Amino acid sequence: MTVLLEGRDLHFRHAPDAPEAVAGASVAVRAGEVVGVIGPNAAGKSTLARICCGLLAAQSGEIRLKGEPFHRLTRRERARRVAFLPQQQPQDLAFTAREVALMGRAPHLGLWMLEGPRDLERADAALAEADALDLRDRPVSQLSGGERQRVFLARVFAQDAELLILDEPTASLDLAHQVMLVNALRKRAGGALLILHDLALAGAACDRLILLLAGKVVAEGTPADVLRPDVLSKSYRTQVDVVPDPASGQPLVAPRITRDRA
Amino acid sequence: MKRSAAMRAGLAVALLVPLVVAAAAVGLLTGAGELSLKAALSGQEPDSTVFFRLRVPRVLLAAEVGAALSVAGVALQALLRNPLADPFVFGLSGGAAIGTASVVAFSGTAVGAAAMSAASFVGLVPAQIAAIAGAMAAAFLVFALGRSRGQLEPTRALLVGVVFNSFASAVVLSVESILQPEQTQAVLLWLSGTLGYEAMPLLAGAGIALLVPALLLIALAGRLNLLALGDEGAAALGVDVSRTRLFAFFAASAAVGIAVAFTGLVGFVGLVVPHAVRLVVGPDHRVVLPASALGGAAFLVLADALARVLFRGLGAEPPVGAVTAIIGAPLFVMLLRSRR
Repeated sequence: MTVLLEGRDLHFRHAPDAPEAVAGASVAVRAGEVVGVIGPNAAGKSTLARICCGLLAAQSGEIRLKGEPFHRLTRRERARRVAFLPQQQPQDLAFTAREVALMGRAPHLGLWMLEGPRDLERADAALAEADALDLRDRPVSQLSGGERQRVFLARVFAQDAELLILDEPTASLDLAHQVMLVNALRKRAGGALLILHDLALAGAACDRLILLLAGKVVAEGTPADVLRPDVLSKSYRTQVDVVPDPASGQPLVAPRITRDRA
Repeated sequence: MKRSAAMRAGLAVALLVPLVVAAAAVGLLTGAGELSLKAALSGQEPDSTVFFRLRVPRVLLAAEVGAALSVAGVALQALLRNPLADPFVFGLSGGAAIGTASVVAFSGTAVGAAAMSAASFVGLVPAQIAAIAGAMAAAFLVFALGRSRGQLEPTRALLVGVVFNSFASAVVLSVESILQPEQTQAVLLWLSGTLGYEAMPLLAGAGIALLVPALLLIALAGRLNLLALGDEGAAALGVDVSRTRLFAFFAASAAVGIAVAFTGLVGFVGLVVPHAVRLVVGPDHRVVLPASALGGAAFLVLADALARVLFRGLGAEPPVGAVTAIIGAPLFVMLLRSRR
């Protein structure tokens, strides 16, 4: 399998006197693979995601897209090949859902940034893929959190990039739309790197998981390799149970919460 | 919204051009005295002189300034992601006011006489050159102080601009205290925004000079749309955010500088016109920018026509800036309330 994204020994700190947010992490995403990045708050997940899509430049280490170093790609080339969904979307946009989906076509447009009929088709197809076609004429500011998230997913799909990097894409989605998103990602030819907090979903959706702690990779492999009670309990500093799903055998993660009241 | 942005922009322009033509017709046919169009066109005096030397240049000036202020307003509102930004928010009005007030203070002195002869060489009066210089100096100052890590940071620049404008009005007030009453009157008139009569070659030059920032901003329109996604969202789509901001900032400043040199501070145009246009055509800057240019031209031509007839019976004429504010303020509140 071709390696889409390969980052090696990445280091990044946000300010000279700040601790390293990413401290020697390495990532790889192969074509057709869905890779999940998990870890507690402030583990460096979002910073790593920004390095992987070129929004931040690693201060040391190297990062390549299909063997090509990031710094050799122009901004627009990179945007045609890597799509990024930030954790939070603007809420007060007066643009309609369709106009937002069309924004995903921006890296493919010419100097005057005018879209053609093919771009309109791609935007509609992306809206359908994200189950947001019925929202297309509504201003984004009037949508609910989950609806808005689907519109922004459509924007990412419309970008037609070979690699999708999604920062907590399922946070405001209901169960059905979480499943829809995972299925949509699996259907795509390219690869995806997801940052996830929901460990059960991470286990079910991803081919491989990377567990990040204080900017370093502390565990990596299949969900069964990474989602182990000893590894998780130590990293998250809370007691975690892992049981196999009776139907699929996938690991199911549950925090242990005591219900006794004194 | 099934149509592409190019088609919607074309449609908006096609619908607004007749509006500008109608506004120009109103502007050309209203004034202090009665005028026979037939006599003017057949070269009869004094109608011909009044028409071609006074009314045509004045309507052209109003159209150019209205378009410039509206386009700059749209650009700065996009840049700051704040619909309340107006063309003067970055300190340009303050800079231009200091320039004008100091020229008025120096007139009658040896320095003033030298400036006068230098300025008349290019067909401008010293106050106009001083206004352009002051506005551009303010733009560079705000740009220099509004940066962080080499990038223009909109909120910081906005604060610098607001503070600079207050500082400038204090300077202007201090200068005014040493002026003769008639000089104070001139500065006051300039501060409230007035349209005068300029020579045609100068108007043509200003029109061409305004096309550069206007076309640059229209070319940037697609990127200004993406800025609404936030800096990261725009950058992830391949936009060079800091360069886009830089170009938009200086293009808008140049347009405002040219406008201010001719008319002083005409308020509310850059605020009301973009809002009204967005209400009709939506938020897409590829449509909003050309539509605002035409809408702004029509708006200021009509406001000026109104200014000329408002106190005609008394033989007086209020500054056009007062008229735009009197129409603009309630109109702006109405537009705000009509937004769902």
